[in-house]
Amino acid sequence: MEREFVCIICPNSCQLKVEYEGKTIKKIAGAQCSKGEAFVKNEITNPLRVFTGSVLIENGNFSLVSVKTPSPIPKKYLKKIGEITRRIKVNAPVKIGQIVASNLLDNNIDLIATRKIEKKKSLSF
Amino acid sequence: MPEKEVIIIGGGAAGLAAAVACQQKGIEDILIIERGNYLGGILNQCIHDGFGLEKFRTSLTGPEYAQRYIDQVMDKKIPFLLNSMVLNLTPQKEVMVVSRNGLQRYQAKVVILAMGCRERTRGAIGIPGTRPSGIFTAGVAQELINLKDYMVGEKIVILGSGDIGLIMARRLTLEGAEVITVAEKLPYSSGLPRNINQCLYDFDIPLLLSHTVVDIEGNGRLSGVTIAQLGKRGGIIPGSKRKIICDTLLLSVGLIPENELSREAGIVLDPITGGPQADERGQTSVSGIFACGNVLQVHDIVDNVSLEAEYIVEGVVEYLKGKLTKEREIKVELGNGLRYVVPQKLVSIKDTIFSFRVNRPGRKKTLIFEEDQRIIKKKYFLRVNPAEMLRVKLSSSELEEIKTLKVRLV
Amino acid sequence: MKPKNNHFDMVIIGGGVVGCAIARELSKYKVNVAVLEKEDDVGWGISCRNSGVVHAGFNYKPGTLRAQLCVEGNRSFAKLCQEIDVPCKKIGKVVVAQKKEEIEGLKKLKSQGEKNKVEGLQIINSTELKRLEPNVKGIAALYSPETAITSPYLLTIALAENALANGVSFFLNTEVKSIAKLKNSDFRINTNQGKFTSSYVINSAGLYSDKVAHMVEKNEYRIYPCRGEYHVLDKNVSWLINHLVYPVPQAGAGGLGVHLTPTIDGNILIGPSDEYIKRKDNLSITSSVMKMLSAEAREFSPLISPGYIIRSYSGLRAKQVPSSEGGYWDFIIEKSDKINNFINLIGIESPGLTAAQPIAKRVVEIINKKERLDYNSSFNPFRKGILRFEEQDEESKNTLIKQEPEYGEIVCRCEKITKKEILEAINNPLGARSLISIKYRTRAMMGRCQGGYCQTRIMEILRESFKLSPKEINLKGNNSYLLTGYRSKKENKSCQKKKSLSLEEELLV
Repeated sequence: MEREFVCIICPNSCQLKVEYEGKTIKKIAGAQCSKGEAFVKNEITNPLRVFTGSVLIENGNFSLVSVKTPSPIPKKYLKKIGEITRRIKVNAPVKIGQIVASNLLDNNIDLIATRKIEKKKSLSF
Repeated sequence: MPEKEVIIIGGGAAGLAAAVACQQKGIEDILIIERGNYLGGILNQCIHDGFGLEKFRTSLTGPEYAQRYIDQVMDKKIPFLLNSMVLNLTPQKEVMVVSRNGLQRYQAKVVILAMGCRERTRGAIGIPGTRPSGIFTAGVAQELINLKDYMVGEKIVILGSGDIGLIMARRLTLEGAEVITVAEKLPYSSGLPRNINQCLYDFDIPLLLSHTVVDIEGNGRLSGVTIAQLGKRGGIIPGSKRKIICDTLLLSVGLIPENELSREAGIVLDPITGGPQADERGQTSVSGIFACGNVLQVHDIVDNVSLEAEYIVEGVVEYLKGKLTKEREIKVELGNGLRYVVPQKLVSIKDTIFSFRVNRPGRKKTLIFEEDQRIIKKKYFLRVNPAEMLRVKLSSSELEEIKTLKVRLV
Repeated sequence: MKPKNNHFDMVIIGGGVVGCAIARELSKYKVNVAVLEKEDDVGWGISCRNSGVVHAGFNYKPGTLRAQLCVEGNRSFAKLCQEIDVPCKKIGKVVVAQKKEEIEGLKKLKSQGEKNKVEGLQIINSTELKRLEPNVKGIAALYSPETAITSPYLLTIALAENALANGVSFFLNTEVKSIAKLKNSDFRINTNQGKFTSSYVINSAGLYSDKVAHMVEKNEYRIYPCRGEYHVLDKNVSWLINHLVYPVPQAGAGGLGVHLTPTIDGNILIGPSDEYIKRKDNLSITSSVMKMLSAEAREFSPLISPGYIIRSYSGLRAKQVPSSEGGYWDFIIEKSDKINNFINLIGIESPGLTAAQPIAKRVVEIINKKERLDYNSSFNPFRKGILRFEEQDEESKNTLIKQEPEYGEIVCRCEKITKKEILEAINNPLGARSLISIKYRTRAMMGRCQGGYCQTRIMEILRESFKLSPKEINLKGNNSYLLTGYRSKKENKSCQKKKSLSLEEELLV
């Protein structure tokens, strides 16, 4: 099977032409460094992605806090994590980097906040 | 009328970076004027990552990137107004602001324009058909989902393969909607390659190049769109029309710098960039008014917005010292292969960063800066793409002697 | 006086500009009046979607109702607008000849206008035309100083609100299904919202006036929908023209020809086209017509570029004349021969907007001949619209914000519309709650970004004001929901799967 991958390791975004069968790489062309081959290997066997999404906030100055997984997770879990974010609620205040959910899918997948949320001000001005 | 040294219109990525840079260079009397309820502008709804790779050497989400600057603004106590809209800007740098506290005029020594951009609309591209609900520009859909917790639809077609459309294709999929296809009228995508991979390929969402939406149906809510394939000259290929049943159409068909205030202030705009014509100091055609960020030219990477803001603040500092003199005027001539170059003219001798976009994708291209036949500088690019802004620096010694300047791509 | 059991003295079917004008006229008398309107707001059939021109009256055959009522309407328009707080401006019109053969047409129009008692008509040469319109090409023109422009939707809304304030009841989302004559000679009107009874029925149902007329008797009335598409140009190019710019009308055409209209708000309209279509609800804009409009506009003014277009839309005309014949038939404003107390208004197309109040007065005359209605001494002709913050001077702006801080929050950036104006529009006395209703009342979302900044804000204000669920926010009435619900409450597809699937299998789906 032949496919083109765009490497996302660095801004060079090398376009890699890859020939592979099953999970074995036969040929890679277009990489400007060795990280490209490692990236393609991963893409074929166990592609990883950072999940980003949002979670409801209680008593915050905003209604949602944006979240992410601190490191890439298997691509196949992305939609499921998305579903889970729709079921969680977090209390304000929230700091950037704060864990808002942990060990999701029993797979050590955490979600951390990526936006600073303060408590809702009770007085209007 | 209260006086300010520097007024920055817009508290998004460009405005924040400009404010922080001004403060770092010793300017105290700054005022950021932001129309929204919070600082950070559009970054707050860009909850995906990939920001800050160059500036901070790590991959951040939009809100995290914004907070890096907001922290500095709070830390250094840089004054800012929220929920305040600039109604009018004069060439004399009077800024009229409206807020719940009333109207307020300020007299600024320097104004930095950082208003960002707006999205191109269905009306502007003239898609035929009815005008039902369910048609959104991608940025509006992004705001509704990421900031308001609303869902915009269930079966989505996206027109335009620009980054916002691609990002939304992924976002909607992760939130349980069905993204049926992304149609792009050009024969190549206008988004970053990594977004095509992570937003479309990852979720098996087909990308139809050379396709566009030619009809919209639905009386109350959208009920379907018709797409068609375009030939080399942009005409519809007969027999290629295909109807797609859907309830949502997202438009990601271009960004337009928001320059209404600039226009009212008599600032000359560049018809291609949509932003003010600027010199190498970032100054517009009106003395003391500078521009940076999306309002000057639409960026694709926020790191470049911050870098651009820091760069033009050098000019702001010189201006406040009275040292910004016009030593010459060289119009930067645009040659083959390029859509535009910023700055559009050179008025002094200094290290200058040129930003530009190419006309079409290509490989193994060389950018040439030349005066008549004499080549001043060449830069080789393995791959070029209209979706990716390129920046090249020329030193003051390279630019010192020239009388004319032409830039072209071969 | 509150009516009992939905019984009214007069029921007006159709809340367009004519129906609302009739409602206002009738509210000057001691009668109970109801307006039944099938849409979510007034004016959504024909009235809101035309060029908004207050015609002088030279386009119409002398002796016709169209001619008489147009001139009458034109003369009383400024006073009406002043009473009900609707913008109106006498900017004048030039009908431009591009070829020598067309000059004869100009002379015919002038003579026709003079027969209709239109004032100030002049034939001007190319030099004078150049002075009036430096960006328009032409060899001669008919100049009509009495032609004016107004806001067709603000006019319709203002007439309705004044009628409402003077006691008329408005029933929106109320579609008439059938009408029966009762033994006591009253009418029973069956609608999707229940029954109404009345002594009189006034059929001002515009596009559907033939259908309503047929509900009580067999007749020859037939309405053919004739669609007109428009482009709206950015306010930045409003300097292109100073007057209405029309072509010399072609005999047998369904409309007055593609013209350039400066709107009361500072945009320019290009249009309309005229095209007979099959369905009365087909408001599509089409590729071929959009191209044609741009091409025609450039015939007048080569400076016009498609790049200036911010939006396109279409409207419909209620034509009585079939396409094979072309041209126009006169207004029908008459009581039915066979059915007592049933008044039909058929085929009210241009100049229906200009003539709305005179038409209404004619209807009242017809009723008065029989009934001798008593005056309503508490009738108040005055109505105030929503104050436009942007139009006030600086001092007034400051005072307004001090009194109501919501004037200090700009919601629509392009048109500079404040939150206070949005709130007033949302709380309009008719109870219309679609986004388009707010748009028509304030101009929000009509700017170059077409709601890119303000739409989400307006949706939020609407939702908060009426505690709506996301799906209840509508763009323009029936089924035009904008949102499908809360993102966080979206049902997960995997919940529907059998529980016996392992986690791994679920994830791979």
